Amino acid sequence: MKAAKLWTAPAVVLAVFLLVMLLGLVRPSLHTTMFTIGLYALIAVPLGLIYGQGGTISIAQGSFAALGAYTSAILTTRYGVPPALSVIPAILLPAIVAFVIARPILRLPELSLALVTLSLGTVIAVGLQRGGDFTGSYVGLSGAPPLPLVGKDPVLVAIALWSVLLLVVILYSHFVHSARGRALNAVRVDRLLAEAMGVNVPLYLATLFAIAAGVAGLAGWFYVHFIGYIAPDSLSVETSAHILFMVVLGGRRSVLGPILGAAFFTFANDFLPGAETHGLFFGTILVLILLASPDGILSPQALRAIRRFFARTIPAGGGAPVVIPEAKKVAQ
Amino acid sequence: MSLGASGISIRFGGIVALNNVAVSVSPGEIVGLVGPNGAGKTTLFNCLTGVAQPQQGVVQLEGHDISRLRLEHRIRLGISRTFQTPRLDLTGSVADAVMLGFNPRLKQGILEACLPFSKARATEVDLRARAEKLIAEFQLTNDPDLPAGELSLGHLRLLEVARALASEPRYLLLDEPAAGIDDVDRDLLAQAIRGAAARGLGVLLVEHNVGFVADLSHRMVALVSGEVVAQGAPSTVVSDPQVVAAYLGVQRVAA
Repeated sequence: MKAAKLWTAPAVVLAVFLLVMLLGLVRPSLHTTMFTIGLYALIAVPLGLIYGQGGTISIAQGSFAALGAYTSAILTTRYGVPPALSVIPAILLPAIVAFVIARPILRLPELSLALVTLSLGTVIAVGLQRGGDFTGSYVGLSGAPPLPLVGKDPVLVAIALWSVLLLVVILYSHFVHSARGRALNAVRVDRLLAEAMGVNVPLYLATLFAIAAGVAGLAGWFYVHFIGYIAPDSLSVETSAHILFMVVLGGRRSVLGPILGAAFFTFANDFLPGAETHGLFFGTILVLILLASPDGILSPQALRAIRRFFARTIPAGGGAPVVIPEAKKVAQ
Repeated sequence: MSLGASGISIRFGGIVALNNVAVSVSPGEIVGLVGPNGAGKTTLFNCLTGVAQPQQGVVQLEGHDISRLRLEHRIRLGISRTFQTPRLDLTGSVADAVMLGFNPRLKQGILEACLPFSKARATEVDLRARAEKLIAEFQLTNDPDLPAGELSLGHLRLLEVARALASEPRYLLLDEPAAGIDDVDRDLLAQAIRGAAARGLGVLLVEHNVGFVADLSHRMVALVSGEVVAQGAPSTVVSDPQVVAAYLGVQRVAA
């Protein structure tokens, strides 16, 4: 039962990925769709960690991804560094930036923190636009070399990206069920409680904020070396807002929530006509879902109901189904 | 060998919350801190645990000055506390709430916490077993996976005590643990407090309910308007005229 708790989310991710990739044999465009979903999910899942578990909102995840993408693009196109090496600074630079700014800002209440991280994204965007030849200005940078080993093949790239996502999901699932995970949960519920339980709250949050930014940077690295091109608009403040939408809609408290949100967002984007009305659609959906379930689709209550459903249909240890005593009661 | 505060003064704006207060608790001793609302009991508590910083005075643990240490350091030194209003994740399970209490004694890296098949997994099994033992001992629930929000207030208070004990403290500071709980839970609580003291823990008990404290404490300290007005054996403190006056109001002699 303990193992089931730890491996459910990774198993679901793997199963859904394999299923969709098989469907992709009939409809090849699904492979690119899976890349997009995986990319968003890789940026969104760590936000689920710091926001859903830790109560620390951030509207800068897209910008951290941009930072990683640009770092790698500049190193590979200007200095001839192979992408296999540039992945390290693409992760480290956003992580370091995040760690440094985290200390002063993470003590802010949620709304202020949202605004501060939003402005941080704007600052990064302006920096990239005004960076002259170094960042390619408004035009961006092109000619980034393909990913190591998997190249430009959509199937291989999707497999590589989802393998990384799967790894992140495995680590996250284990983290949630650990002393560290409970400590982060305590930070969300009540910082004073967390301190009373021996947690150095500012350091802990800053570290996780940096890890989240680093994973976003890794996603940016995937992006720029698959697409081969990066501009200020590719991974922008708007992307950050979309990422937050995915996390909140899908369920910020659950490991799978942000991935569900990413899938929903990507498919909706593909199938909805008229890009200018998307905002209206997404806004309405978000309001409706949050009215019904403030913690998103995969809320703790929903997950508990699902678990109870499975426990009832497949009784643990082969015992008698729980349904029978209730049926008896009715008969009496 | 004790946890103590001396010369503690703290003001909030113009209001003097504590004025030159001293209190101490030794291992194995149960000290009851009583006083009417607004006497400064919780503030003194906060000074001892590091939630509040006094403007004057020193907090000492086994002779070391810990006045400048933050809350999270003090708990690791063995000063564990509960809160007047239970602080916990009501959506989380009872087991998780108790297991959080083990954190101050754990040294677990983030990477270790994330990795499958690491030491953290064995730790998890061990902590779960220890938490279930505490849950049974305090008779909190038969189902450790029950959301904590479904427990009664009395059980939530007991849960906080269980969680505080999980960190294996040397000093246990309980802020109004018996407020709003029924007789059965109160007996369990008294039993747990006596048990902790018998194992050598120093217990400092803030209570509104004088009867409960007087019954339990070895020594009592009475605070009125931020000053210690009486201390010593429970029977002496309870019958002290100033304490009686503070609780019952001053009776004017009929003219």
